[in-house]
Parts: sequence; structure tokens; C-alpha cells
Amino acid sequence: MKTKFLIFLFIVIASSSFAINEFSSQGQNDPWTQQQLLDPAVLAKVLKNPNSPQPLVFSVGMQAIIKGSIDIGPTMRPDNLNILKEKLNKLPKNTQIVVYCGCCPFSRCPNIRPAMELLKNMQFTNYKLLNLPQNVKVDWIDKDYPMAE
Amino acid sequence: MRILIMSFALLLFGGTISAQSTGLEQGNKAPEIKLPTTKGDTVALSSLKGKLVLIDFWGTWCAPCIAEQAELAKLYNKYKQSTFTNGKGFEIYGVSLDAKKSNWENFITTNKINWIQVSDLKFWRSPVAKTYNIQGLPFNILMDGNGIIVAKNLHGIDLEKRIARFMSK
Repeated sequence: MKTKFLIFLFIVIASSSFAINEFSSQGQNDPWTQQQLLDPAVLAKVLKNPNSPQPLVFSVGMQAIIKGSIDIGPTMRPDNLNILKEKLNKLPKNTQIVVYCGCCPFSRCPNIRPAMELLKNMQFTNYKLLNLPQNVKVDWIDKDYPMAE
Repeated sequence: MRILIMSFALLLFGGTISAQSTGLEQGNKAPEIKLPTTKGDTVALSSLKGKLVLIDFWGTWCAPCIAEQAELAKLYNKYKQSTFTNGKGFEIYGVSLDAKKSNWENFITTNKINWIQVSDLKFWRSPVAKTYNIQGLPFNILMDGNGIIVAKNLHGIDLEKRIARFMSK
């Protein structure tokens, strides 16, 4: 019984020590919910399977590294945010959309917040933020997930 | 019980170990880098043999890297003519992970950066990010006159202290 409790305690402490770090995926005031974070492994699987419905993947950072993604450019810049807005204007609100940047840890990425806020304000209903808490190198490239040519 | 405590300790320290084992270790030879400058000439890291060299991995899109450039300028001007125990002169070899040449070039010109700057403009896909196992920016390596890594990822006062430590008495 005591051992079971210790194992439980061990798991709780272990998982919380992983959660509290620089690479936290969701801060208090972030314009996305935990449910809106998309696991890179899940997207990689979808991209590898042509029979699976493909989401529209927007790169809102420096370079569209992920296979099939659309290069918007850094949405910290209002002109790029406008390009995204124009593309979104043509889409049904329930379009499956994935947004990523991956330059820097989420806590200091200047691009993902404006893009996610735009999607929220435009009342899209099926959009996700690719969970690259550290950067696109560590969380995508190093895992050999599908890359743009 | 003992196993539990041990595995708990392992888990705690495991995090620290994995955070520090990134990149290459002190005492190893710094891998060669051969990349073009803004003008297109290739500068090899190995051509700086004989000098104390700071390899600064950065990008114009990386806020803390930008903030650090002014400090690097001070270090560069202060130490570039100095003689060190294992190197004559101090050089900075800036490797940018930018994606667009205009961003990179404009920053160098505007901020009058006068040390070596190279880039393949491949952002996180740059092969050097893989060779140097870079997990995030800013990241740097201090290399002695023999091309041996003598410090890794030091910033601010810690970096200057380390450079000063190599000054010939």
C-alpha cells in the first residue's frame, strides 16, 4: 500500500517537474487552449498518409519547413498578418487549420500569438497550434518528420 | 523503496544531464564550418587557427541574440588585439540561422558589425545546427588557437571572465 502511494507520488512529482520549465506550452494569457495544441507526431502521421484528410498548414514564422505548409511569413509583422487574413477570408469557418512558427520557445515566439488571435477573432472553429514548445528543429526536424522539399 | 528513491534522484539529475550534454564538450575539437559571408566569399572556421575564437550562433529573428550583439561588439573591440595563453588575437565567427538574406545583411550594416559573419540562410535546417547539436538560440562556443572547445554557451559577464582568464599574464 505504502509502495503504491510512493509510486503515485513519484509520478505526480515527475510529471509536474516536466511541466514547469521554459518550454511550457500554454501560459495563462495565451490565445489558445491546451486542447488546441496539436502533437507534432499526430501531424507527421497525417502528412505521411495521403488518404487521411489533410489540414491547411500555415507557417507564420521565418520559413515553411514542414511538408506542404503555406509560407505566410512572420505574423509579428502587420503586413504578413494581413496576408494570412486575406487567405482566411476565402475559407469556410470550419476548415481544418494548423499554425506553426518554431523559431523560439513558445514563451518568446513573437509570431504565434497574433496568428492564433486572428483565427479566434475570425471565429474559426477547427484550428490548432502545432506544439513545438522548444523550436521546429528540436521538435520536428530532429524527429525526421516530413519536410518541405 | 530504495529503488524508488534512486529512480527519483535519477529523474531529477537526468534533466540536468540532458540539458548540458547538448552540443560538443570542452576539450573536443570544434567541427569545421565553411559558410559564405554576405558578399559570398567562403570563410572557414579553421582559417582562424591561432586565435581565440567565439563562434556565435544567432539570428535576426532571435530577440535575446539581438540583445547580445552590443555586448559582443564591446568584447570584440576590447580583446581583438590581445594575446592569450593559447592564441594571438580574439575573433568572433558569427553564424546566422536567418532565412532571408535581406534581414541578415540589413542587421549587419545597420549595427556596423565588424567581425566575421557567415550564413547558409537555411534557418533551422542549416547543417551546422545539426553538427553543433544546437537546441536553441543564442548558443556559442569558445575555441582556442588550436581549435579546441574551451567553453560552451557562456553569456554576459561569465563570457568575459572566461575570455579574460585566457589572457597572457
